[in-house]
Amino acid sequence: MRTGWGVLVACPILLALVLPALAHHSFEAEYDFNKTLKVTGTVTKMEWMNPHAHFYLDVKDASGKVTNWNFELGAIPVLLKQGWRKDSLKQGDQVTVEGYLPKDGTKSMANARRVTLPDGRRVFGGSSADVADK
Amino acid sequence: MKRNYLGWTVSLAAAGLMLPLARTPATAQDPQIQVTGKVITPPGAVAPKGLPPAGPKGPVPRMPDGKPDFSGIWNGQRALPNQEPPVMLPWAEKLTAERTNNYSADDPEARCLPGGVPRAAPYHYQLVQTPKLLLMLVEGNIHTYRQMFLDRREHLKITEPLWYGDSIGSWDGETLVVDTAGFNEKFWFDMAGHPHTTQLHVVERYHRRDFGNLDIGITIEDPGTYSKPWVIQRVSSLETGIEMSEYVCNENNSDVLHLVGK
Repeated sequence: MRTGWGVLVACPILLALVLPALAHHSFEAEYDFNKTLKVTGTVTKMEWMNPHAHFYLDVKDASGKVTNWNFELGAIPVLLKQGWRKDSLKQGDQVTVEGYLPKDGTKSMANARRVTLPDGRRVFGGSSADVADK
Repeated sequence: MKRNYLGWTVSLAAAGLMLPLARTPATAQDPQIQVTGKVITPPGAVAPKGLPPAGPKGPVPRMPDGKPDFSGIWNGQRALPNQEPPVMLPWAEKLTAERTNNYSADDPEARCLPGGVPRAAPYHYQLVQTPKLLLMLVEGNIHTYRQMFLDRREHLKITEPLWYGDSIGSWDGETLVVDTAGFNEKFWFDMAGHPHTTQLHVVERYHRRDFGNLDIGITIEDPGTYSKPWVIQRVSSLETGIEMSEYVCNENNSDVLHLVGK
């Protein structure tokens, strides 16, 4: 069942304006706003855990080598409010993810800011980039 | 777990109607990696600055003795805009600047430690009121609780300072005044890294304005850190038709290995 996607389709900025803050940790302590990434691949797993959900993507590079990427999403209470469910991304789904790379240079890991589904719908990642717990 | 998403659905659908829906062609047939170096959305543009949506109107619920009943699930407390910043002693100003400049990499909250008082979290909290005890069940950052004793006038003699201190509540008309002392020094007030000492004394004034809206006036006194009381005004609104979710922060706190700061 792919519930909730309808409510997710919108401009991330507008979504952020109506969402609560997502802070568990400072976004910029871990990720670099200036190192963005766009990858396309196949979903291998959704890790529905706190403090942040993660999903994994098999990504094939130009040489044909496949690497499994780890993408961080927001916290589950926030994702639930946005309409995400544990099964919102299924194994085998082809998606494109835009996100931010970590500052420490860890390979094949990023924070998911936007996820684009096979039919072109762009959904908000519940990214902890939208942090403000002041 | 039951959750009512109707309100959010309406809000988000309304937001969506204001913009053309994004229909970027998918690139699934051509898997690739692009490191663009381009900021997708400037951080300043996405930080939520607004207040929570207003809660439902209606009369304030009452306890059998006629006092306001604060019970309910409330969304995370949010500060009203344009408030006075704290006036810090030099050591505190220096430390806060260091923490902020290092992007709060050392924040205890990021290690799944308690947020203390009066740190606001973006998650829900549930108030459960009895005649003698007000419980604050905290959804996150860690799944925990605060106890506010309504039948005790004196603080306990704290021998071991506490993350949440000792809270006693009394009534000032329609307002519940919660006085808390006995804190440890381990938590930060916010992500900016504002510190405190064990001299910390926090007074929270809870006023249920109507059925769905809560005003929280906070006074932070700590002569070891601040040269005058720091006053903060916050609001929460009632969430109806939902249950608290389970947030177990330490389940998979993989971030902590990557919090490098600057």
